[in-house]
Amino acid sequence: MPGVLWLVALFLVPAYAVVALAAGGQDPVFGDATAEWRPWRWQFTTIGDALAGMMPGGDQWGPMGRTLAYVAIALAACFVIGYPVAYYVARYGGRRRGLLLALLLAPFWISYLMRMLAWVNLLQVDGYVNDLIDVMPGLGRVAWLDGRWTTVVMGLVYGYVPFLILPLYASLDRIDGRLLEASRDLGVGPVRTFVHVTMPLSRQGMLAAGVITALPMFGDYYTQNLLSASPRTSMIGNQIEFYLRQGSGNQYGSALVLVLSALLAVLMGYYLWSTDRAAKEVR
Amino acid sequence: MTFHPRERRSSTSRSIPGVDRREFLRRSALAAFAVPSAGALLAACGSDGASNGTDSTAKVALSRPDRPVTLPIVGDPIADGLQPESGTLKIYNYADYLNPDTLTKFEEQYGVETEVTTFTTMDEAVKKLRSSGVEFDVFFPTTDRIGQLVAGGLLQPLNATYVDHLENFWPRLQDPFYDRGSRYTVPYTVFTTGIGYRSDKIEEPPDAYDDPYAIFWDTRYRGDVWVLDDDREILSMALVRQGEFDINTEDATLLDAALDDLLELLDAVNVKVGIEAYAKLPEGAAFVHQAWSGDLVNAQYYLPENGDVSTLGFWYPADGRGVIGSDTIAIPTAAKHPVLAHHFLNFLLSEEGALDNFSWLGYQPGLTSLDPDTLVADGYVPENLASAVVRETDLDVGVQILQLSTEGEKTWDNAYAKFLAGAQ
Repeated sequence: MPGVLWLVALFLVPAYAVVALAAGGQDPVFGDATAEWRPWRWQFTTIGDALAGMMPGGDQWGPMGRTLAYVAIALAACFVIGYPVAYYVARYGGRRRGLLLALLLAPFWISYLMRMLAWVNLLQVDGYVNDLIDVMPGLGRVAWLDGRWTTVVMGLVYGYVPFLILPLYASLDRIDGRLLEASRDLGVGPVRTFVHVTMPLSRQGMLAAGVITALPMFGDYYTQNLLSASPRTSMIGNQIEFYLRQGSGNQYGSALVLVLSALLAVLMGYYLWSTDRAAKEVR
Repeated sequence: MTFHPRERRSSTSRSIPGVDRREFLRRSALAAFAVPSAGALLAACGSDGASNGTDSTAKVALSRPDRPVTLPIVGDPIADGLQPESGTLKIYNYADYLNPDTLTKFEEQYGVETEVTTFTTMDEAVKKLRSSGVEFDVFFPTTDRIGQLVAGGLLQPLNATYVDHLENFWPRLQDPFYDRGSRYTVPYTVFTTGIGYRSDKIEEPPDAYDDPYAIFWDTRYRGDVWVLDDDREILSMALVRQGEFDINTEDATLLDAALDDLLELLDAVNVKVGIEAYAKLPEGAAFVHQAWSGDLVNAQYYLPENGDVSTLGFWYPADGRGVIGSDTIAIPTAAKHPVLAHHFLNFLLSEEGALDNFSWLGYQPGLTSLDPDTLVADGYVPENLASAVVRETDLDVGVQILQLSTEGEKTWDNAYAKFLAGAQ
């Protein structure tokens, strides 16, 4: 029962408010969107516009396509960085496991924005990152902040990789060590043990970690704002932010939020379906 | 909606002279959280549906310099000669848009308290004023929203006998086109939109170009060119550059032509958008930045320790044909301390009050006594930034960003959204 209460208060009511705004009207004097709470009076044209806009060829496709690409690359990089870390802590953390986990959580003690602002300083042409590059032979200073997409993706990876490590760690930690011993006893080398035992057993964890990491990346706009600010690297979150801060654009902005949420719900749905199936297999 | 120099200013906050860079960064980070949350709230809560004003006359007259508007008197102004109330004067304003010392002086003089509540965008502020239970005594509306606010019954008519210091201000601001006879508002600040630049980082100043605006498209400064993250400002710049001075046009063809020029900025210089010229220029993160005049006056306080104020430059058309704006102060209908609020307006209109406020604010009050020479001589404005000082006659030749029809606003929004989307 408390679960239902939370669901209603924290998800259904806000979601309903967004629909009411996206499918509502416009104030004749002030020109901003007005919520329409009666579903039978909803008009879906704006939502349709937003959906069409986000498809290839639409006005929003540039940022949308970019968002998909950035999230995909960032997610892959997160796995490359995050999986070994999670594996190490789970397998070899030993007595220092608590300390290692605390260190992994440490970035969360500092606000995301503060950490991004720190990167702005580090990445400046005369910043520490370039000082480091500069001492290496053959390399010159890089204008990281000149509005390049690689910096934005780097920011996303940095900002969200802890979200990936923690669920992955939890999943790897649960793997029964005896299974790995059995594998080794049967003469399988460490690499094949990893590929044939550890990886499949952590599949659910990888899926959960991937979803948890990707979802906030889709809505991110301030990483782009702080590390690039160029329209050439703008993401769908930047478009939503723009429309929501303009009174006259609230309605379209809400519609974009809805369409994006629907898209992400598909992702979330796949995750739920997959965990459900996995749970059945175990039984 | 129109943006305004202080729009989203809380995302960066400002430092006062002496506040070091680290402190500034810390405050930026803290304040920046206000931005996403405000947006999220707007999205999640929506508006209050049919609130004040929905059923009043749908058409709000769009004021223009050549079509001045005399606002109808709705409700009664306060009576003459009343004693100011005691208690706390509640002020609703952009973040960092009032000198705290000036407030303290007012408090001491009247034996009252003041409390400043801040908003991030004018849209957010108007929304909040429309919701019931909000009782602010003083509000700082932009000129383009005054017609709406009066139509919605949100502002009370002023009693002119309390605000006699209005005579200190430029005659054009005493009887402005957006509120003939200053029935609801008194003037606050004036500012222009021009080109801020770092003279030590660029080859030649905007003046050296046949078309000074072309500096934004100069490929030599790729990665270091910024324009204002504001639909009205950036598209207006492109319109003015094309010789189109009706920057309140709703003609989609004109806007598309302006948009085409702006899209070229993407390839030419990988242009960036932001509203922190006052910090980006002194820090060297921007070499060329479309900027508000007040931001350049402020920029001197953001210079790094060994920074040199003479490296900052500001270009505004010498003939004054550029984008210019002004701000106002008003008293909401729901004010609980209307008499004290009138006294506060008058305090900010007084020579001492206005100058004291300006010394911290960087945005200039339209005082008759001020001109570029005196402001430079008295040390308010560095000599190399005298072009950031606004003259009264600028109001005659400059063009102003004013209210559009609802449909017109959407046309502008969409054009700018296409620019922000980065094409491709």
